[in-house]
Amino acid sequence: MTEGYKNPLGNIFVSHRAIATVACQTAMQSYGVVGLAAKNFAEGIAQVLVKDPTLGVDIQFVDNAIKIDLYVILEYGVRITSVSDSVADQVRYQVEKTFGLPVSQVNIHVRGLRVSNVD
Amino acid sequence: MGAISKPQSGPATEDKSTNSYISGQEFKKLVEAGTEWLKTNQQTVNSLNVFPVPDGDTGTNMLLTMQAAYNEISTSGDENIGKIAYKVAQGALMGARGNSGVILSQLWRGFSRALDNLETMDSALLVKAMNEAKSTAYKGVVRPVEGTILTVAKDVAAGVEEKAKSTSDLVEILETMVSIADESVSHTPELLPILKQAGVVDSGGKGLFYILEGMLRYIKGQSLETQTANVQPLSALAKFDETMEEIEEGQDYEVVIDFRPHQPLDLDHFYSHLSTIGTSIQLGEGDGMYRLHIHVPEENLHEPVKLIRSMGVFLKETTENLRAQMADVEKAQKPKIALAPVQPDHIAVVAVSPGIGISRIFASLGANAIVEGGQTMNPSTEEILQAFENLPTDKIIILPNNKNIILAAQTASTVTVKKVKVIPCKSVPQGLSAILRFNPEGDLDEIYQEMQEAIQEVETGEITIATRSVDINGVHVSQGQVIALHNGTLIAASESLEEACLQLLKTANTQDRERITLFYGSNISRQEVDQIVDQIRETYPSHEIELHEGGQPYYQFIIAIE
Repeated sequence: MTEGYKNPLGNIFVSHRAIATVACQTAMQSYGVVGLAAKNFAEGIAQVLVKDPTLGVDIQFVDNAIKIDLYVILEYGVRITSVSDSVADQVRYQVEKTFGLPVSQVNIHVRGLRVSNVD
Repeated sequence: MGAISKPQSGPATEDKSTNSYISGQEFKKLVEAGTEWLKTNQQTVNSLNVFPVPDGDTGTNMLLTMQAAYNEISTSGDENIGKIAYKVAQGALMGARGNSGVILSQLWRGFSRALDNLETMDSALLVKAMNEAKSTAYKGVVRPVEGTILTVAKDVAAGVEEKAKSTSDLVEILETMVSIADESVSHTPELLPILKQAGVVDSGGKGLFYILEGMLRYIKGQSLETQTANVQPLSALAKFDETMEEIEEGQDYEVVIDFRPHQPLDLDHFYSHLSTIGTSIQLGEGDGMYRLHIHVPEENLHEPVKLIRSMGVFLKETTENLRAQMADVEKAQKPKIALAPVQPDHIAVVAVSPGIGISRIFASLGANAIVEGGQTMNPSTEEILQAFENLPTDKIIILPNNKNIILAAQTASTVTVKKVKVIPCKSVPQGLSAILRFNPEGDLDEIYQEMQEAIQEVETGEITIATRSVDINGVHVSQGQVIALHNGTLIAASESLEEACLQLLKTANTQDRERITLFYGSNISRQEVDQIVDQIRETYPSHEIELHEGGQPYYQFIIAIE
């Protein structure tokens, strides 16, 4: 699937996968995110970190704006709300900056926590 | 106990052998000092932000995190440093705000884990704790970005380890930590290109530096309330204001002065003098010329100039009114509305709208430009003119939507070369029913005629609160009562919004009408709205009742009856 916009010479099409790649790379650089989980696996095995991280990103176009769903695994011990907020902020900023298309929503689905240290 | 517990003792050099360990209560004071110092330098850290994301106020975020951490221990009398550190970590975790705050909480978490329930901390433990803090923080991210707070924490941990080999004096080690943090922060632009582009150092790293420096300043008995004199390169100064989000008390004007001092500046003295005049003090230097940047309240507007003239050659001064600036910024940030694009040679509609919700409705019905304005904020002729002057067509229809604005709109129509028609609509409902007849491809005169007829087909109701007591049209109104206006005429005053709405509808010609549309204002809660609308639905079961967010000020409801 592709979405696009016009310039004076013609159309520019952007695939969902391209946007997913940017979203996923940004999320992986965000503090607190240790991985992305496949979005359509059954709940039980959603914990598995996926190899192709774009599988943990869902892109939709709603009313000419991008809607992003991210399925993430966070580090145990971080404040989930703060981390989710900053991931959403950074993903939105980076996607809008890269593609010049408005982002209407970034939904963060916390699919699991990775425990590196037990307190 | 170590000299750490004697903040008044000046530089803690008298007896180094006693600085070899630290207790829980001493540690608590250090955390407090770090928090305090970060607070003092909060704006400086905020000003280093480079990402224009809402999360951006690093200084504030880190401060709130530290305050949450300190709140956990502020009343604790525990001597056990392990327990105190554990509480600090818990508090930081619960209060973590923003990216830097989360990383800071992870640093504390690792730090406290190393001190697990121990009574005191010596240099060996500090080394362990800093390493644990660093590695815990690094575990929180898959691809750590270097040139951030993480890098600074890593450098500090390494520095502590190195220093601890030669001394077990905690004050000396802390001094090393501060100087390493300072150096590490200054190297962040080399690691992170985006910092270099913006000409700043990393804000989170700088925040961490201030926390450590605050601890050291406390031990040395230095003030935690006045900013230290630090001179930056001139280029860094420009970044300072862009991050301002709101103006605090006493920041009415921004004064920037360029000057050459007669004698080398005594920075600390200069700073302490400045801090009595204003806030957000920044000083830049280049080629022997200094630039002072300060925010001052109105009464101190001329103080900076007086001070500078007494000490050097005065080169240039600029003053800006921050309040006015912020008002502009806020205006520019109003949510964007998707206006209908104008096709050349088609007719364009300019609507005056009192609220954001109403603007959206006009836009969705085909308005090509919106001018903000209403009862108490009439737009000027100039503003109306600007709205259509640049549209790529010369056929314009204006919907003033308020009787006080019709005149300004008519004036605008006479001072332009474009063909402009003003629909004499006195209210939002009239404007809306007019725009429903609008057809951009039609003939200007015909469309104008049709739209003008449309405004007769709707009755307007307005519900607001009386600002003074008055007798009009045989209705007695006391100040504070709810009043109902029908087509601009006062018809009822009552104690409740609900009653006023119902009386208004009774007066209106409802049996000949089929639809009642309510636009609720910005000064009424959704819950109240729902209650009132339910009541209206019950009273008028055969009418179609519609509800929209109008967002207008002052008027709880604008009602269209058609």
